[in-house]
Amino acid sequence: MIRRACEGDGRAVRALYDRYSPRVYAVVRRIAGDDDLAEDYAQEAWIRAIRALPTFRGEARFSTWLHRIAVNSALQAVRKEKTRRKREVPLPDVIPVPPRMGDTLMQRKLEEALAELPDGMRKVLILHDVEGYTHEEIGAALGVTSGTSKSQLFKARAKMRRMLKGHETRPKEIEAWSV
Amino acid sequence: MERLNLEQLARLVDEPPKPEERAILEGDPLLRRELEELRSQTEALGNLPAVLPPPGGWHELEKKLMAAGLIFGRRENTHVWRKWLQVAAAVVIFVGGTAAGWITASAPASSGSAGAASGPASYASLEEAGAAVEEATRVWMAAYGGYQQLLGTQGQQLRSSDPAAYLAALETVNAASRAAVEEFPHDQFLNELFIRTVAERNQTIRHLTLDGWY
Repeated sequence: MIRRACEGDGRAVRALYDRYSPRVYAVVRRIAGDDDLAEDYAQEAWIRAIRALPTFRGEARFSTWLHRIAVNSALQAVRKEKTRRKREVPLPDVIPVPPRMGDTLMQRKLEEALAELPDGMRKVLILHDVEGYTHEEIGAALGVTSGTSKSQLFKARAKMRRMLKGHETRPKEIEAWSV
Repeated sequence: MERLNLEQLARLVDEPPKPEERAILEGDPLLRRELEELRSQTEALGNLPAVLPPPGGWHELEKKLMAAGLIFGRRENTHVWRKWLQVAAAVVIFVGGTAAGWITASAPASSGSAGAASGPASYASLEEAGAAVEEATRVWMAAYGGYQQLLGTQGQQLRSSDPAAYLAALETVNAASRAAVEEFPHDQFLNELFIRTVAERNQTIRHLTLDGWY
């Protein structure tokens, strides 16, 4: 199927999309923190992936390869968007993601808390605790040291815990570190 | 150290406690409970489900992929005649121009390329346009064969002199042959041509992207 997709077979690409788009969309949406942006970012990730298909050599699982492209694409898009908005109007620190119907209550709470985390913490927490990246991989993806990644992760977990306990809602402070 | 703060506890989700931290935990059931909550939270994050993209996402993506020339597929037969002429013109112009430049020694220009390049604009019927495309693609195949022969006798010099230009030329052939296959999906000749151009294009892309541009 990958070979046929590589040759431009629309049906094969559609099959890949049907199979992998939920995972791609999930990680892109969580990194973007916004549904509208997530749609654009996910499409950009897919275009990048299909364009790069000839370079897929099968050394990793296709899902892993695709996932990394999606993460890198989303991180790059977020950086671009942040720069663009800085030039126009000040960005709010937090862009809430509305929960989707059908989620369990706990999942909904987690998604809401994730969306309320400062940008840098959110990215690290998503990549580590949701997506299973190592600190070295996160460091490489975000351009920070693995120590910074660890530090942000522990802060993010603590902040999440406080939010889920109801001790802290809608944090307003400016984050000290962002990527 | 009298008590561990939440960030220190968050570290203990992944790392074993130091001796003094272990002692504090052993003496404080509330802290142990808090650590368990943090572990549960981390586990729950790892189990967050995938999210379905919004409906209609594929159709938007399909349009973009087609516009970028990354996929072909069965499209609705609107403007077939106009598209067919565009395909014919693209192939003929390419054969008459770019491909002729590649081959100077081993594949002399055929009458087909010169004749086709002189008048790609108008055809009286679908059959006439189809015949022109077929002739043009045959000439291209001859040129392509000559090109490969040159590569064999002269090493990689011809390609490595300007791989990006070569890729651009391949993209042109690729787009034309893809469109031709869409019109005649069961035509063996067109399919073979398309597959060969795609394979060559992909091989060229691999040469250009060894370090993974993305």
